[in-house]
Amino acid sequence: MDRTLKRRLEARLGTQIQGPIRQRHDQTEIRIQPGDVPDVLRTLHDSVDFRFEILADLAGVDTGESMQVVYHLWSETSPDWLRIIVDGISREDPRCPSATFLWTGAEWLEREAYDMFGIVFEGNRDLRRIFMPPDYTSFPLRKDFLLPDDAARSPGEGVRHVERPYAPAVVADDPAAGVRRAPAS
Amino acid sequence: MPARPTRPTTRAARAETRGETRPQEPRPPEQHRSEDDPRIMLDRDVGADLYEPIPPYPTRTEREGEFYTRGDGEMFINIGPHHPATHGVLRLVLKLSGEQIVDVDPVLGYLHRGVEKICENSDYYHVIDQVDPLEYVSSLFQEWAAVLSFEKLMDVEVPRRAEYIRVLSGELLRVASHTLYMGFLALDLGGLTPILYSFIERDEIVEMLAALTGARMLFNYFRIGGVNGDLNHEFMSRLGDWMSRAARQTEANAGLLNENEIFVRRARGVGVLDRATALRFGVTGGNLRAAGVPFDIRRAHPYSIYPELDFNVPTRLEGDSLARYLIRVDEVRESIKIIDQCLHNMPDGPVMAKLPRLLRPRPGRAWGACEGPRGMLGVYTISDGSDQPFRFRIHDPSFLNLETVPTLLPGNLLADTMTIVASLDPVLGGIDK
Repeated sequence: MDRTLKRRLEARLGTQIQGPIRQRHDQTEIRIQPGDVPDVLRTLHDSVDFRFEILADLAGVDTGESMQVVYHLWSETSPDWLRIIVDGISREDPRCPSATFLWTGAEWLEREAYDMFGIVFEGNRDLRRIFMPPDYTSFPLRKDFLLPDDAARSPGEGVRHVERPYAPAVVADDPAAGVRRAPAS
Repeated sequence: MPARPTRPTTRAARAETRGETRPQEPRPPEQHRSEDDPRIMLDRDVGADLYEPIPPYPTRTEREGEFYTRGDGEMFINIGPHHPATHGVLRLVLKLSGEQIVDVDPVLGYLHRGVEKICENSDYYHVIDQVDPLEYVSSLFQEWAAVLSFEKLMDVEVPRRAEYIRVLSGELLRVASHTLYMGFLALDLGGLTPILYSFIERDEIVEMLAALTGARMLFNYFRIGGVNGDLNHEFMSRLGDWMSRAARQTEANAGLLNENEIFVRRARGVGVLDRATALRFGVTGGNLRAAGVPFDIRRAHPYSIYPELDFNVPTRLEGDSLARYLIRVDEVRESIKIIDQCLHNMPDGPVMAKLPRLLRPRPGRAWGACEGPRGMLGVYTISDGSDQPFRFRIHDPSFLNLETVPTLLPGNLLADTMTIVASLDPVLGGIDK
């Protein structure tokens, strides 16, 4: 845990960071709003005392209530991985500013997040599907995309945690339906 | 004499003459004509534009529209998805002007299996064998990244002997992977000999690891909190034999290419990836170190027992295909040094931490990253307190390494595609997930 990094982040980005800065093992975690993404990333990348030059990862996350975009950054100024969680992106119309203005490599990572979660990265010049075919319409890693597996058909349906909290409405509508399906939206 | 009436020919007609009425037999279906079947394509339907890689849908982005608009004298060529030099099922749509490449559009997804979704529906022990086939050339590293992430999530301490065995087997596999890389790079440039020697080396290592883990490619060996089995006699004797000649053999294999004028001339100065571009693309591994950035997770963000080991991080400044190759040669030497140190300092003790049969980590998040042969492999896990990961994100280095191809190729000749793509060392199993 890098305590100095925590102090530096608080001093520099105190107004933009939502909630406490969490530290565990070799990771420091901050949460920001989607609107602050360009500012925060630019500060972390450009300023001399941070120099987070390497974008280790960009991941989309569907928490069930909202979407998140998670960045992992590495810098030689800190022994910690810095995790930036962009929280509170709406599930109905997920939008987030693109990071391609700093890291060109984020273009494909954002295409992947778009392909899997439907998150639209504003500013990405080539936001199309990357793994799934062009005529595909679903977003497979969303939590309302259920796998038609054995558990979904068995008497123990819903024991898998991905199916538990998000699709009870379907069962209430048609209790006789053997196979659970994701809600239409 | 009246002509004898001819006998009715069909069975139904004969029955009618006898006054019997039989139910009509079902008529055979009409001849299936290929012209009517929209699925069957005839030669005369094939227009010249069939072979154009223009997408059969409205272009989705500005960049796609720009790419598929053909300028004066330009043509498209598809390489792949099944092409021996694309290292898997990669499709590259090249826009050419004469023999010069103008633009490239890589098309991915032919090997997409949805491993992340599968992992989110498997419990923590099962994830390890699900991630194995991702980077099938060096699958231990993908397991390692997953295991590192889980161990951080669950605060598991790994016994020291297990850490040594992980490093030992990992570095062996790194040597095998780099040796294969050298052979395939030469093969893509038209040299057949090096791949034969590469496979001798790799087979030796893979058989050795089969003695240790039970499998040749998809090892499923690392466990949360340790490894699956202790070192055994067969592995150690094979390893001893191999180590006695490994350094000499590596030099001899590298000499096949290092001193080959055709190879050096085709690789030098081709596909130069400079420092700034490499950093902007998030390139990692040997490709980044060939561009002059000494970024190696084993040193930059140490894990396991790497801080105790003595090895160098080779870097080069040129950033061209030859530099990317030479970095791999240097890394094999460093790996052999690490294996030697592991064998000399191997401690006694257990190889597994004590863990419950069913793992239910507390809700939380963890990121684990390790240095694979192609760069940084990372895994980001979110736990919601159940026995399956809520989110399991796999970061593969080849994905970002391949992303530089549209930047590196334009301006080069068609024949250099092979050099550049092969020197970046993509493995499509990991890219497509």
